[in-house]
Amino acid sequence: MSGLGDLVAGLGTLLTPMMLFHAAWATLLGIVVGSLPGLTATMGVALMTTLTYSLDSTSAIFVLICMYVGAIYGGSRSAILLNIPGTPASAATSLDGYPLAKQGRAGYAMGLATAGSALGTIAGVLMLVLIAPPLAEAALNFGSFEFFWLAVFGILISGQLTADTTPLKGYIAGLLGLAVAMIGSEGIHAHVRFNLGVGDLNAGIALIPAMVGAFGFAEVLTAMWNKAGEVVAKKDKSDRTIPDLADLWRYKFTIARSGIIGTIVGIIPGVGEDIGAWASYAAARKTSKEKEKFGHGSHEGLIAAETGNSAVVPGSLIPAITLAVPGSASSAVLIAALFIHGIRPGPLIMIEQPHFVGLISAMVLIATLFMAIYGLTLTKAFVQVLRVPYSYLMPVVFVLCVIGTYALSQRIFDIWIMVFFGLAGFVLRQMKYPMAPLVLGIILGDLLDKSLRRGLTLSDGDLAPFFTRPVSAAFVAVIVLSIAMNMPAVRRVTLAPFRWIGARLNA
Amino acid sequence: MHMALADRLTAILFLMLGLALLVGGYTMDRLEIRQIHPASIPGLVPMILGVLLSICAVLLYRSSYKPEERNAAPVFSGGSWGRLGITTVICTVYALGLVGWLPYFWATFVFAVCFTLIFSFPLDGERRTQLIAVAGALVLGVGVALGSSLLFQELFLVRLP
Repeated sequence: MSGLGDLVAGLGTLLTPMMLFHAAWATLLGIVVGSLPGLTATMGVALMTTLTYSLDSTSAIFVLICMYVGAIYGGSRSAILLNIPGTPASAATSLDGYPLAKQGRAGYAMGLATAGSALGTIAGVLMLVLIAPPLAEAALNFGSFEFFWLAVFGILISGQLTADTTPLKGYIAGLLGLAVAMIGSEGIHAHVRFNLGVGDLNAGIALIPAMVGAFGFAEVLTAMWNKAGEVVAKKDKSDRTIPDLADLWRYKFTIARSGIIGTIVGIIPGVGEDIGAWASYAAARKTSKEKEKFGHGSHEGLIAAETGNSAVVPGSLIPAITLAVPGSASSAVLIAALFIHGIRPGPLIMIEQPHFVGLISAMVLIATLFMAIYGLTLTKAFVQVLRVPYSYLMPVVFVLCVIGTYALSQRIFDIWIMVFFGLAGFVLRQMKYPMAPLVLGIILGDLLDKSLRRGLTLSDGDLAPFFTRPVSAAFVAVIVLSIAMNMPAVRRVTLAPFRWIGARLNA
Repeated sequence: MHMALADRLTAILFLMLGLALLVGGYTMDRLEIRQIHPASIPGLVPMILGVLLSICAVLLYRSSYKPEERNAAPVFSGGSWGRLGITTVICTVYALGLVGWLPYFWATFVFAVCFTLIFSFPLDGERRTQLIAVAGALVLGVGVALGSSLLFQELFLVRLP
């Protein structure tokens, strides 16, 4: 229970006028960024990282967390009003939110989305404070062998679950990310690899320019490529924003289940908010008594989707803080930001900064509070935000991409990296390659490389410890199973017992 | 273009990249002179990645011939090539050409004004709406250039390009 004590202590640290001021503007900005189609949470966090270099570490991380929480929630605005998810996380929200808006009940849909998001985040925060400390403690026993498999597992599972069409493209994206991480000076002998004769590549490719490119510039291109949506203007006189408590109580099990699903999805490396929302939505539809309403303005569907995607935020922080393995693309940027501000995420965090988990949980909670206040009060203002034309918005975003990247180490070369990743990211996205495994590959490449070679040195070239140590063996089993599950015959055999139990329970 | 053809082309590209990683890793300095453990040579992981990427590329190439819905799906469709082309050119020219060549304020001003005017100038509109569009672009240009210069130079103490 010391986690909850740390949470209260964290709240005490953050409840100062200056910190609340930071939370107020950063959450509002996050909601605006999230609500604009074409600007995603990851892009917001990446750009905001470049704008918070000069803040002290607690304020900077607080601003980034508020941006993250606000943006994931903000995506629901455009999903409801435009039928275009502001961020991919809100794709499931549009299924029931948009029909509600067309019925003239956009305000109520936004109110439900706000309540769902707030409750989802709170559920995730509770799991964050309870799970993160023991997980970090367990990870203290990890050696090179386990960290190698953890990195492999992260990239593989992210590739498998985030790919749109075939897991193969997810795996390829992960391998490309790992290949990018091979560029520059390696971590054991400081030998420079694949610098192609360019001196600027000796230090490798920094994550922030790559992320700003892949999520900033690529999204500017995608936004200009796509057609704009129409804002729903119809309004029912009985429409209101404050959700009915009876409505929320009726769906208490859906909320709890979606919160847990979202957090678990968040914990899985590199599997982001969109999967959390879809998984919660699918589970809610499967168990609902009003299945027929799903897709036609179901309150339950909307709550499930929003609770699911918001619970991923604190969920994704669990592996990010304790293992330095990001649970989502946005938390990958957060890891980079933590390093910039002198905080070293990983198993040692509970020894070096034992109160950090409590502090970051408190940050998420305060961000949620501001999100709920804005969500329930500023609905009309958000409709106006959606009317800002891209021709005015996108040059501002791109200027921030350029100057933010440059400001990191004041090198023009980083701008070249950003542009390259932007163009490559756009092409890869159009061809349905997911970005999350690519980013995870860049982040985990160093860990994977060092752990494999260090492990082999420790075992004098013997591969056995990679397979015989208990945690390693468990990782290997899961990895083999998740690859084998792509084969229909294996999937049928593996899922047969679960289907059998499910059929008995339904009978 | 259909996804099958796009996948085939990228599979060839990835195969070449995979082989390049393999060869690059194999021919990489093994640092024998520093007497490192042979299992910790710097080229080990690039070689493994090269093999895996090549395998994935071959599987991708093979899967593109399967009669599946996803292979028949169109790629690079449903959007505007004109808008994409102009955005790519104007952004690339700004980031890779103007920044560093012109002082940051002027580079950003020119970029923001051009971007806004190209995408919002009403060619067939009345003179008044055209003037409003130009004024809007100029205000945005000055605002973005001045705002970002002041923010980064004065507040974050960045020496602007």
